[in-house]
Amino acid sequence: MNSKSPIYLSNRRPDFRPFEIDCGKIPAYRYRGNLKSELKAKTITRQEAIDLLEDMLMVRELEEMIVKLRSGGYEPLPGYDYRGPTHVSVGQEATAVGGCAPLRITDNITSTHRGHGESLAKGTIAMRRMTVEQLKARVPGCGATTREELLEAALEEHLYRFICELFGKEDGYCKGRGGSMHIADFTVGHLGANAIVGGGVPIATGAAMANRYLRQDNIVCCFAGDGAFANGVVLESLNWAAQAQFTNELAGDHRFGLPIIYLIVNNHYGMTHRTDDEVMGIDHMARRAAGFANNNMHAEIVNGMNVLAVRDAVRRAAELCRQGNGPVLLEVNTYRYWGHSLSDPRNEYRTKEEEAAWKAVDPIETFKKELLDAKLITQAGIEAVEARVRHRNTRAALRAAAAADPDPADVIKYMYTDTKAEVVPPEFRNVKLLQDPPPIKRTDGQITYRDAIKEALIEEMKRDARVIFYGEDVAEYGGAFKLSKGLLETFGRDRVFNTPISEACICGTAVGAAMRGLRPVVELMYMDFALMASDQIGNQAAKWHYMSGAQTEVPLVIRASVGGGKGYGGQHSQTLESVFAHIPGLYVVYPSTPYDAKGLLKAAIRDNNPVLYVESQLLYGLKGPVPETDYLVPLGVADVKREGNDLTFVVWGPTVHDALKAADKLQAERGINCEVVDIRSLVPLDLDTILRSVQKTGRCVVASQAIHIGSYTAEIASTIQDLAFDYLDAPVKRVGAKNGIAPQSHILEAAFLPNVNDLLAAANEIL
Amino acid sequence: MAQPITMPKFGQMTEESAIVEWRKKEGDKIAKGDILFTVETDKSVMEVEAFTDGTLLKIVVPAGVMVPVQTVVGYIGNPGEPIPATPPPPAPVTLATAKPAAPAIESKVGAASALRPAPVGVPTPVPSFVPAATPAPPAPASFRISPRAAALAKRCVIDPTQITGSGPGGRVIEKDVRAYLEARGYDKLRISPAAKNLAAKEGVDLLAVTPGDGGRITVADVQRAIAERPKPMSKMRQTIAQRLTQSKLTQPHFYVTVSVDMTDLIAFRNQLKAAGEPYTITDFISQAVVLCLQEFPTVNSSTDGKTTRWHSHVNLGLAVSIEGGLVVPVIRNAEQLTLREICDLSKQLAEKARAGKLTPDDMSGGTFTISNMGMLNVENFAAIINTGEGAILAVASTMKQPVVRDDKIVIRQMMKMTLSVDHRLIDGALAAQFINAVKAKLEDLELWKRLTA
Repeated sequence: MNSKSPIYLSNRRPDFRPFEIDCGKIPAYRYRGNLKSELKAKTITRQEAIDLLEDMLMVRELEEMIVKLRSGGYEPLPGYDYRGPTHVSVGQEATAVGGCAPLRITDNITSTHRGHGESLAKGTIAMRRMTVEQLKARVPGCGATTREELLEAALEEHLYRFICELFGKEDGYCKGRGGSMHIADFTVGHLGANAIVGGGVPIATGAAMANRYLRQDNIVCCFAGDGAFANGVVLESLNWAAQAQFTNELAGDHRFGLPIIYLIVNNHYGMTHRTDDEVMGIDHMARRAAGFANNNMHAEIVNGMNVLAVRDAVRRAAELCRQGNGPVLLEVNTYRYWGHSLSDPRNEYRTKEEEAAWKAVDPIETFKKELLDAKLITQAGIEAVEARVRHRNTRAALRAAAAADPDPADVIKYMYTDTKAEVVPPEFRNVKLLQDPPPIKRTDGQITYRDAIKEALIEEMKRDARVIFYGEDVAEYGGAFKLSKGLLETFGRDRVFNTPISEACICGTAVGAAMRGLRPVVELMYMDFALMASDQIGNQAAKWHYMSGAQTEVPLVIRASVGGGKGYGGQHSQTLESVFAHIPGLYVVYPSTPYDAKGLLKAAIRDNNPVLYVESQLLYGLKGPVPETDYLVPLGVADVKREGNDLTFVVWGPTVHDALKAADKLQAERGINCEVVDIRSLVPLDLDTILRSVQKTGRCVVASQAIHIGSYTAEIASTIQDLAFDYLDAPVKRVGAKNGIAPQSHILEAAFLPNVNDLLAAANEIL
Repeated sequence: MAQPITMPKFGQMTEESAIVEWRKKEGDKIAKGDILFTVETDKSVMEVEAFTDGTLLKIVVPAGVMVPVQTVVGYIGNPGEPIPATPPPPAPVTLATAKPAAPAIESKVGAASALRPAPVGVPTPVPSFVPAATPAPPAPASFRISPRAAALAKRCVIDPTQITGSGPGGRVIEKDVRAYLEARGYDKLRISPAAKNLAAKEGVDLLAVTPGDGGRITVADVQRAIAERPKPMSKMRQTIAQRLTQSKLTQPHFYVTVSVDMTDLIAFRNQLKAAGEPYTITDFISQAVVLCLQEFPTVNSSTDGKTTRWHSHVNLGLAVSIEGGLVVPVIRNAEQLTLREICDLSKQLAEKARAGKLTPDDMSGGTFTISNMGMLNVENFAAIINTGEGAILAVASTMKQPVVRDDKIVIRQMMKMTLSVDHRLIDGALAAQFINAVKAKLEDLELWKRLTA
């Protein structure tokens, strides 16, 4: 490998000599210490130990409140109508608190639907580390001056906002939009609990990628249950995090493993199924690590009922991550005292004896004994802590119950953000180029659609170091369609890299990276593959701005290439933008010309909403005038590609060109003057331009390459008849592909896709 | 248990009726005799009274829904009383003008009945993603217009139904409206804004308004057009129109007129009146006709063109003018009645008619009708036979006339009568004999003395 160029050419030789793989050893229950020994070794202070107890008590008090609320037995709030999930984690407090205890304020976590513990603990532990100024900022109205008082006020405020979120109140961390299963507090690095089992794991991985890329000293602790470690996207994430290119010579001067701890909260039940001996074939979850990294991801099995053991393991794991030796996998064995939710009686799948045995090693009772043994606190002192925790929780709950509900008028507020990256912060302006960007070939000011996209990428990557670009085979090879050829050489592997064939992770890591301040552009080689990533696009990218109550923005661009028209058959030919236009929180654009392709991509990259940028392989070779200058095509602005008075074609994508041909034909043969409106952007939709045109012409054909059923053409047609009924001289017609599956045969595909004649037929029907 | 209210049967032949209007709403207190609702029959709107005190608990059949007679239309009872389960009215026929309203069915089983098990063995249709190759074109409407063309016509305040459409399926499109406006010289019309507003509000076609003297359409012109606009006929007038047209189209009429010397009968009637007797000239004419119909059975017959049918009873119709039209109450079995009974019945029926309270039975089954315009100062007129009858007698005003008696010109009180006859049934000679027989009876003073004795 050339020391300057990041290009890597494989030179692997066949070698079939016999040998054996040594999977190495995965240690279990390494922790031999106790409180006394840690105090002696000064690995814990007296105050830290008492704080561990208090934090565990806080978690248990909160969850017992939920249990009592559901049965109407929470004394401070008799009869309160608590609506929402009851996925409590009682029994798992040592895992949550011990897992968060070694983390810094700026370190990140992601959590799960059973995430009250770590979600609460990430906050309390962060606050215990905050300066007086930081604490004052969290409780601005508080008159307290001493650190102790400020901390107490901050902890109560933390509980209040937490309970408000459970109660769906405007003062909740997510303004009542997220609730128990989506709680997040980005100010202390909590990137969100996740109600999709495993859904948060690629997000955590992407956040770790951002931390690595930004060369920040932060790590990510990704809490996920044992059940999640059977899910594809979780296993893909482990593979993603352990990629050799982060640590081997490909990484150049930045050999640094992803700073992430995958903390398996192994409570032995995925909802109710037993992960041990039933739905998994391995004896210990930690074995998973052996499949993804030669070093077994430093995996360990940890006693999750011992807060000190968990704390010790996570502290060592965090240290490994900060040194660039991540990722780390920890299997933390713990136990869920309650069922999946309060409606689960548990006796259908486990014994009372099992429960009793685990309760005998209750993490809180065990730790109390250690505190007493170490004479750190008296029994009376413990009772005082318990009373403080209980009273604090009561005060917060009473306030939360009385807090204001969100205004129903704001029901879709926060679905989109209206902010853009108009100004690049100084630290990201100075972009180092390894070499000059690949030249774009211009003839008479014209370039191809493919080069227009490339030029937009180059310009935006030069403008803003936060823009990174990755996808399958986009690096040396330049992408399946040679669109990104030369970008690796220009920007280096930190910013342009190949990914595993793992669409869910491509999109999911982009969400996490975007949450952590990057502006990723990712490529889906074929739009069909977006369905592999549908959770990450539809449930994660699209929803986090809203679900977090606008705490975070998710500025990312997913470029999806449509293969229709090339005879590639049912899984490489779909025009699926209608599917994604149905998902709130996502923007969807589809340029039809080189000019729009460049301008729209640049605008999409600068927008702070997630944008699905659809491009057509049929158009890659299309040439058109594209200025070399920096210009944007704003999202949500349609373009009249041809003016006319008699009929409006509302179209996007390749169909724009068919409509222009149909318009020319109608002009030549019948003297009919058609207008062609290229919407360019499905979401947001420029209704004004469409309606203005239809008001003028009175006739409208809405067309795209999507199949007819459920096509976005129907949404537009319906809106036209609703808002411009009195201007219509004929019914609004729709043209799309046949209601079928794209065939391979080019004869069949020609019959399948809409063409100029279909547009003419529709137009003639209403002329 | 709440008491059901049923749709009354107003006539022997009535099979179904519709409520025109509920005068009470659910929850209203009802006293026995209160008007609950009105029902429109062929010739009248009937009021239906409550039979019991109570509260109107439920309206089952809303206004405008045609239901069979005896259908339960509502319930009266004490508030909170259970309403018995009722079967839905059998397939109500919804009138075109009325809003369709599903009859509300209350059931004791209540919510449980809503949870009906899904039918077993019925194959679930599999939704097809392939629409029919060519969907059947919708049945052509009598008039189709695009929204844009309709909006233009509305803006111009014109009636677009006259326009021939050139769009698909003959739909009127904007171009057609513009061509029509040009052809009709719409641009040259001068219209005051107030006139245009009024025309738009009242739905007057500006192209159908004749401008006044100044050549400019003003409010006065639009008001004139509104006044001249066709208005829908009442149900009664429509019935009249339908019946009389049917008569004239199917029953070939001819007419026979005689003059009756009423001098003596009038003098005699005046004597009776002075003595406090109630007889009117009409009563005498009715009696004379009843007597003659017994003598001439063919006149008290009817025909459908293939058969003739003699009516053993004389059911004598008396045309009565009322507000908005004409009704013909019938004196049944008049041949069995005395003159005095005919007199009393005529009076009762006439009052009932003027009060709008005739039942369909009061107006059906006539075999011969008398139409008397004597009080309206007419010399002579011919009436149209009531469908299904054989003849009708039109009685004009009695007037003093110079007539020849014993070769001298004398002044007598003369009354012309014209018999309209269904020629399919009755020929000229018979008609002449019949009307002369009536004339003879009216001029026979001895007869009247006997009958009033």
